[in-house]
Amino acid sequence: MHELLAQLKRTALAELESATSPGELEGIRVKTLGKKGALTQILRGLGQVPEGERPAIGALANELKSAFEVVFARCEKELKKHELAARLDREWVDITLPGRPRPSGGVHPVTRAFGEIIAIFTAMGFPPASGPEVESDWHNFEALNIPPDHPAREMHDTFYLPPGPGGGKRLLRTHTSPVQIRVMLERKPPLRVIAPGRVFRCDSDLTHTPMFHQVEGFMVDEGVNFGQLKGVLEVFLTRFFERSLPVRFRPSFFPFTEPSAEVDMGCLFCEGSGCRICKRTGWLEVLGCGMIHPAVLANVGIDRERYSGFAFGMGADRLAMLKYGITDLRAMFDNDVRFLGRQA
Amino acid sequence: MKITIDWLKEHIDTDLSAEEIGARLTMAGLELDGLQRLDAGLEKVVVGFLEEVKPHPDAERLTLCRVRIGEERLAVVCGARNHTAGDKVAVACIGAELPNGMKILESKIRGVTSQGMLCSLRELGLASESDGILLLPASVTEGEGIARVLGRDKVVLELGITPNRGDCLGVRGVARELGAITGRPLRPLPEIRHLPTSAAKPEIRIEDGAGCPRYAGRIVRNVRVGPSPEWLRARLEAVGLRAINNVVDVTNYVMMDLDHPMHAFDLATIELPVVVRKAQEGEMLRTLDGLEKKLAASMTVIADTQKPLALAGIMGGEASGVTEATTDILLEAAFFDPIATARTGRRLELLSDSRHRFERGVDPEGLVTAMEQATRLILELAGGEAGPITLVDAGTWQAPKPVRFRPERINRLGGVALEPGVMREMLVRLGCAVEPDGDLFSATPPSWRHDLRLEEDLLEEIIRLHGYDNVPTTLPRVPAEPPAPDPMHGLMGRIRGLLVGQGYLEAINYVFVAPLMQGRFNKRLTPLALLNPLSEEQSALRTDLCAGLVEAAQRNLNRGNQRLRLFELGRVFLPDATGEVVERERLAGLLTGPVEEANPHGAARQVDFFDLKGDLEGFFYQLTGTGPTLREGEVDFLHPRRQARLLLADGSEVGWMGQLHPALQEELDLRREIYLFEIDLEPLARVKKRRAVEGSESRFPSIQSDLTFVLPMRVQAGDLLAEATHTDDRWIRRATIASIYTGEGVPEGMKSVSLSLLLQADDRTLTDAESRELSERVVVRMRDRFGASLR
Repeated sequence: MHELLAQLKRTALAELESATSPGELEGIRVKTLGKKGALTQILRGLGQVPEGERPAIGALANELKSAFEVVFARCEKELKKHELAARLDREWVDITLPGRPRPSGGVHPVTRAFGEIIAIFTAMGFPPASGPEVESDWHNFEALNIPPDHPAREMHDTFYLPPGPGGGKRLLRTHTSPVQIRVMLERKPPLRVIAPGRVFRCDSDLTHTPMFHQVEGFMVDEGVNFGQLKGVLEVFLTRFFERSLPVRFRPSFFPFTEPSAEVDMGCLFCEGSGCRICKRTGWLEVLGCGMIHPAVLANVGIDRERYSGFAFGMGADRLAMLKYGITDLRAMFDNDVRFLGRQA
Repeated sequence: MKITIDWLKEHIDTDLSAEEIGARLTMAGLELDGLQRLDAGLEKVVVGFLEEVKPHPDAERLTLCRVRIGEERLAVVCGARNHTAGDKVAVACIGAELPNGMKILESKIRGVTSQGMLCSLRELGLASESDGILLLPASVTEGEGIARVLGRDKVVLELGITPNRGDCLGVRGVARELGAITGRPLRPLPEIRHLPTSAAKPEIRIEDGAGCPRYAGRIVRNVRVGPSPEWLRARLEAVGLRAINNVVDVTNYVMMDLDHPMHAFDLATIELPVVVRKAQEGEMLRTLDGLEKKLAASMTVIADTQKPLALAGIMGGEASGVTEATTDILLEAAFFDPIATARTGRRLELLSDSRHRFERGVDPEGLVTAMEQATRLILELAGGEAGPITLVDAGTWQAPKPVRFRPERINRLGGVALEPGVMREMLVRLGCAVEPDGDLFSATPPSWRHDLRLEEDLLEEIIRLHGYDNVPTTLPRVPAEPPAPDPMHGLMGRIRGLLVGQGYLEAINYVFVAPLMQGRFNKRLTPLALLNPLSEEQSALRTDLCAGLVEAAQRNLNRGNQRLRLFELGRVFLPDATGEVVERERLAGLLTGPVEEANPHGAARQVDFFDLKGDLEGFFYQLTGTGPTLREGEVDFLHPRRQARLLLADGSEVGWMGQLHPALQEELDLRREIYLFEIDLEPLARVKKRRAVEGSESRFPSIQSDLTFVLPMRVQAGDLLAEATHTDDRWIRRATIASIYTGEGVPEGMKSVSLSLLLQADDRTLTDAESRELSERVVVRMRDRFGASLR
């Protein structure tokens, strides 16, 4: 019986060592230690063993069992490790395949520019205000010192609408300056406001769309002067374009400001050496501005001896194109998702 | 407006280069729009004399020429056939780079060395076509630069003149401005030596003094109309005018030179006297552009006893114009009222150089000067005998009034610190007469400056001559109180953030639409039509946003962009019953195509109603604190069974969502289902977002109970779930639809719906018996309410 047990131990341990899967290991355990296994078979003959030898046989059987468990546990651990490694290897993915597309949305470049412009001016104390897009001739022109038949009206190719119920002339606003008029009529100085919005002129070619976007702004207070106007606009341009560029103010003409100026900044693309975008001048025209014309102040009932003001205006579409590197104006209102997605 | 530097220098002495002049004028308000050297590319092209022309030894079509340029002799091979020995020609020498980019190098042509090229007008960049090389008159000097010979030795400045500076629409005006900037005086005009040699003096009457405050006329007899000399033609052409004949050219020259438009009539066509009067309503006049114009009673005309001759300040009549056959002329120099001229010009849609100047205001004191200078040139170029000038003043023009200014206020508004004497000197340089007036000054503007009326006008003059760039830059103080936020602006910002987070791209469409397209969507409202649209496609103001988005989808789908998620924020224009237009801020969105772009990880399904609904639920939840309530809708351009009205928690309607009607989808040639929504922003702006109510989640375990019912097809899930949860508001925490099935095993017209109930108490764990009892109550309620049977 000693012999049989020793034999069983040898063969069972050898079988464990050569097993190749946890299932095979389990089979060996059942075959060796199970209810109908080899050990049970051997121990069945215990009756024939003299009583005095029985404890020794029992000890031998226990020793076999524990030796079996130790080897079993070691082999099982080993095999599971291999099996895991093999499974993980089978779970290979091609990391160069594209990810599942989750295209992000985005705002229109004009909105983006509006947002940046509004943030800068709000911080300087100029919050946004709005007004109607269908305007009266008075708000759009006459209050702004542009009488009928003034040659300056030629600078504004106006879309007209049939007269309203009161018979008044109606048009699509050609600039957001009428918002200035509305704010000045409604509130008292000191005033600081910007008016971002949509404007319309009947002009359509490579460099003009019949609808475009402006931000105008103004300030009325005691002691407002031309030097402050320069300061506010220089700060704005530096912040908006995120770099310090030369800025120059040139005399110009707007009926609603006196003195008037056009503002150029050093070309973003050639840094002033002259390129196609700045028409070889080294300068980009980006703003119009001036001190609010006394006739405009008179039209809205502001005492021009006590108060003075400045006003400025800029094309948001143009600023967006310059800042975000958009070259084709026609793409702006075409709404091709490839363009919008790229600009997002 | 274009001027040339050589012309400018006839009026002012300056050492500045063309570039410097352009820069100085720009910074004073006359913006340089372009600078062109007419001799560009002609620098090494000179007059040569052909000493000998013989056939090329080795090429039948070529000639071998010996060209003499002073002492120098060049051998030049030429391919033209129109030249012979003794001709004077334009020779491009070695090193020349012609206007068309051609570089002249010494080269061998069929074995013979050629040391230059004989040029045609085309090669010189002066004509688009030319036949053979340019042959010059014998009078030109050998060796002289061709640019000079052809009047191309000019630098042209193109200046942008703002509408307030009509006084700078002539070379002398620009010179005067440059003089004020640089402190140089103008040169005097050429002296007038002619005396009247004829007694013929025209009788002139002004009947419309408002339209024409001043009018001068003069008769010149026995002129010889013919071509102008080269210098005159070259100057006119350099500034963009076409040479016509010597008399007309002189009037144009004086206009460009002195900024005073003039006109010459053929005296033989006129029955004197000349009458400046209002037109008769309906009177006809064929103007110089060859078009018949119907005049209105508001327009000023120059007429004789019989008929209108010219539209005052705008254009002459064809019948009274100067022709080759003209011998006696009536010259006109006048001051027409700016506003009257503008009105007539606009009404007739007639643009001319003359109108451009008169409507900006010419110098009312400049009539006689212009007349005398024009006469001088006509006598010089066309001969004839000039009579005395008739000058009529209607007494309607008022000389500029003195403008008072306070140096202290100028400094305060300008942000500068200039001495009064410096201000005064600047204004004097501009032609103002400045007098001290107590602490103040009073400046009387010159007659040519119609734009100086207010103290602020003088402020601009002073700081512009001082230099805008020299005004010190400062910043206004910012008030400590931050500006109040604008609710609509804030709402729009949040909307954009939410939709962008859901993958939507923002579109901006034109507010103009085609009435046909708009009518397919909003049938209730006739959109407001523009009186002067650019095209039928853009002729009315939109009454909703979705039509524009659908058009954008059409364009995108046609270009192969399959997956679209677009939104737009903008105004619509709603005409009300009275004809007033109401502007409303709207939001609209469009969804179509696959849920995700094609990719190798599995085929994506196409979006459907519930993709859009899911997006809107998230959107409304974030904005208002609750999802939208959906009610059956009746929008006629949407699928009748796949649309809903969107309601806020208080029951107010804010918009709609749904699938574009399949019939309209087909009509618009769209190959995919399109889902749309549109929302009015005003009700949304009024909603106060509901904060989540403070409370604690139950800590006791929940039980899930699943029940599958068979019930009629059109029972709505919303009703089912509401009914299920209301069975026991205390313990049934949530009911959801787990699945829906129709098909085998489910009778026609019925559907099988699995409900999932979440059962939970706040204070203890529910028992199995309690959970069974709850489920049974739900089953009974479903049966009673909807005729549902447990499956």
